[in-house]
Amino acid sequence: MTDLHGFPLRKSAASAVPAWRVLSVAVFCLIAFWLMLPTPTLAQSPSPDSPCVGCHGDNEHSLPLPSGELLPLDVDLDTLLASAHGSDAAAPVNCVDCHRNDTNYRYPHLPNPATTLEEYRTQVGESCQSCHTPLDQHNPGHLNAVDNPNLPGCVDCHGQGHSVTPAETLSADPVATCQSCHQTYDDPKVGEVHAELAANLGPDQTCQTCHTDKPVYPADMSCRNCHLLLDSSLELASGEEVPLHVDPATITDSVHGSSMVENSYSPLSCTSCHRDEERYAFPHAPLTVDDARGLTLEMDDLCQECHTDIAALEHDGVHEAARERGELAAASCADCHGSHNIQPPNEPRERISDTCGQCHSTINEQYAGSVHGAALLGEQNPDVPVCTDCHGVHNIAPPQTAQFRVESPNLCASCHADETLMAKYDISTAVFDTYVADFHGTTVALFEKQTPWQETNKAVCYDCHGVHNILPANDEHSQVIKDNLVVTCQQCHPDANANFPASWTSHFEPSPEHNPLVYYINLFYQILIPVVVGGFALLIGSDVYRRTGDSLRSRRAAKPRKEEGEE
Amino acid sequence: MSHKTTGNHKSERYPRFDTGQRIEHALLILSFTILSITGLPQKYPDTGWGEGMIRLMGGIELTRFIHHTAAIVLIVGSIYHLVGVGYRLVVKRVQMSMLPGWKDVVDVVQSLGYNFGLIKEPPKMGRYTFGEKVEYWAVVWGTVIMILTGFVLWNPIATTRMLPGELIPAAKAAHGGEALLAVLSIVTWHMYNVHVKNFNKSMFSGWLNRHEMEEEHPLELAAIESSPAKTVDPEVLRRRQRLYLPVAVIFSLVMLVSVYFFVTFEETAITTVPRQTVEVFSPAQ
Repeated sequence: MTDLHGFPLRKSAASAVPAWRVLSVAVFCLIAFWLMLPTPTLAQSPSPDSPCVGCHGDNEHSLPLPSGELLPLDVDLDTLLASAHGSDAAAPVNCVDCHRNDTNYRYPHLPNPATTLEEYRTQVGESCQSCHTPLDQHNPGHLNAVDNPNLPGCVDCHGQGHSVTPAETLSADPVATCQSCHQTYDDPKVGEVHAELAANLGPDQTCQTCHTDKPVYPADMSCRNCHLLLDSSLELASGEEVPLHVDPATITDSVHGSSMVENSYSPLSCTSCHRDEERYAFPHAPLTVDDARGLTLEMDDLCQECHTDIAALEHDGVHEAARERGELAAASCADCHGSHNIQPPNEPRERISDTCGQCHSTINEQYAGSVHGAALLGEQNPDVPVCTDCHGVHNIAPPQTAQFRVESPNLCASCHADETLMAKYDISTAVFDTYVADFHGTTVALFEKQTPWQETNKAVCYDCHGVHNILPANDEHSQVIKDNLVVTCQQCHPDANANFPASWTSHFEPSPEHNPLVYYINLFYQILIPVVVGGFALLIGSDVYRRTGDSLRSRRAAKPRKEEGEE
Repeated sequence: MSHKTTGNHKSERYPRFDTGQRIEHALLILSFTILSITGLPQKYPDTGWGEGMIRLMGGIELTRFIHHTAAIVLIVGSIYHLVGVGYRLVVKRVQMSMLPGWKDVVDVVQSLGYNFGLIKEPPKMGRYTFGEKVEYWAVVWGTVIMILTGFVLWNPIATTRMLPGELIPAAKAAHGGEALLAVLSIVTWHMYNVHVKNFNKSMFSGWLNRHEMEEEHPLELAAIESSPAKTVDPEVLRRRQRLYLPVAVIFSLVMLVSVYFFVTFEETAITTVPRQTVEVFSPAQ
């Protein structure tokens, strides 16, 4: 006699049957039992599940667990049949394939070691892994989160109560699978972000695009993934909106993102700059600034953490000085260089004047019309000065100071006195020397050497030639062409008349052709001075000769007389 | 005449320059020295010494101010000289002993000949030797050039009202060339003749001794000793003075007023270039 599962029923040990009979009956019974065993391999039909189904197919009872939870004993057979594990499915799974622990599931079932429903589900889930391996391929986050008490098991996603959902169904809407559990967030901000992210996910993106356990830069990937998907804006106290969208491509294509900058720092990740963990860890700390400008200026500090040398230069520049005065529109790092899409600032060279022109558009327009600007913008001429050649880059000096003014001729001369450079354009390099030889230039050069901080009203190059709007000296609109020169002179010499401009030597060295009067007067004195002084020298020399001779003769005459006297 | 020694054969003192002439010379020393010290560095501002001297004098603007001030002293001294020359020629009717003549040319040649031992005796010269005449006329010529070109440089806009603009840089060239010539002449010719050869103190004391007269002005000494001093009738002298005084006063006033105009005639440039306020912040639209 065996029970339903074939275990021999216990009998009283007090029987008087001889041992060989008992043994033979037992052997017979064992053979009979073995033949009766419901092995799937042997069973063609009916299903080996029949005993299970028989009891659990229609069972209204529940098993109370130690936790107090009730484990329903009923199995919805229709659901099971229609599921991926149903007997009609391609790969049917029997009850004992999953409920395979012989000790637990042989009837009468032993008490289940699970004390809660969750434990019970985990237990069943472990059975899944005997067929479905490896699970970490599609459930990485959860399996790694060992300390999570709410760790989901296989059944949490693939269905409870035997309604096993096939992987294809789940992967058809993976986000919904995750959302079946992840419906609420402790932090409403996190919830908002995830709602927007979920709505903006691309065709190949799932929750696991971010929540992966194999990130290259864990934080960086999270930053990039989120901010690529976000297209909403953050509203600041001022009412301005800061777009949250950041295209990672702009960073990878930038000087920071690619290895085109050969240093040990590139490429940078998001957190290389946004490195303050308290502030930039997700969820991000609330902003401390009220408006977009404040946010831009705040980000200057991020650049300066690495670019300390440039920061030191910038500290001496006009823009930082203006910001310290409260003129917050003055350029900060990002205004010129951009924030994420930082490119080499001088490639192509026109980029420089474009950059400055963002804020200094009027000056940039004047420059574009000048001889320098036209050559830069029209011909990509590498020789003409762009803004930074005259003004400097980070430590830009205020151009309205006396110092800038008296030093400015050197600035012009740095190109215009360069013979190799000027030879290309057939421009005289005598301009600087002839300027310094003249009254204006002499004075300015002395001020520059001695008291550069003092104002002087003597003209410098740009007083006559113009500042940003410099035209070629042979252009009909040039301030220094002969027809316009008197007006230019009158800027400083209001009483000047038409004769006055000729008092300027027009950067010509005096010669018989140019400024002949000056040339011949110089020549006159070049001859007269040596002749006169030479004549004096001759007379003086002859006199010295005569007197020396006289004195020698009188001494010679005196000596013998003295000797005679002694004798 | 500071010393009443004329005609006294025993006296060692022969009057040469009266007090007025000596004051005039002192003013010339003062103004010429200051003009040279402030002027030459302006001619060579790109040399280390030129730039250094300008720096020591407190910068180019102060150097120019000192130069202009010394120029006024020189011009006033020149006016005084003209009045003094006029007095000596018109009132006292002295001989125009400073005028150069053929004898001066001969003296130059003979001096050379004597110095090189070709002639036994040095040439005998009168009240003013050829060397002194060269100095005097060089100062006259130089001062005229310097004052004229200085006016042009001081008042370039007024000058170009009537004259071509090229005169301004030409005046600058002449002013510098003439200055160099003057300074070189002083440090060679003047220094040698009155300080090195013999220290001629007459410009400070007013007189020469007999030995000096014999050495340098034998003809004048001979003239003094051969004929008694020519004295003018006091009545005639007073009459001439009465005539000369108003002319001299008017001339002096006219000249001084001219000097005043010279130095205040024009304001060449506006004092400072007015700052044009340009709004540099113009964000691109």
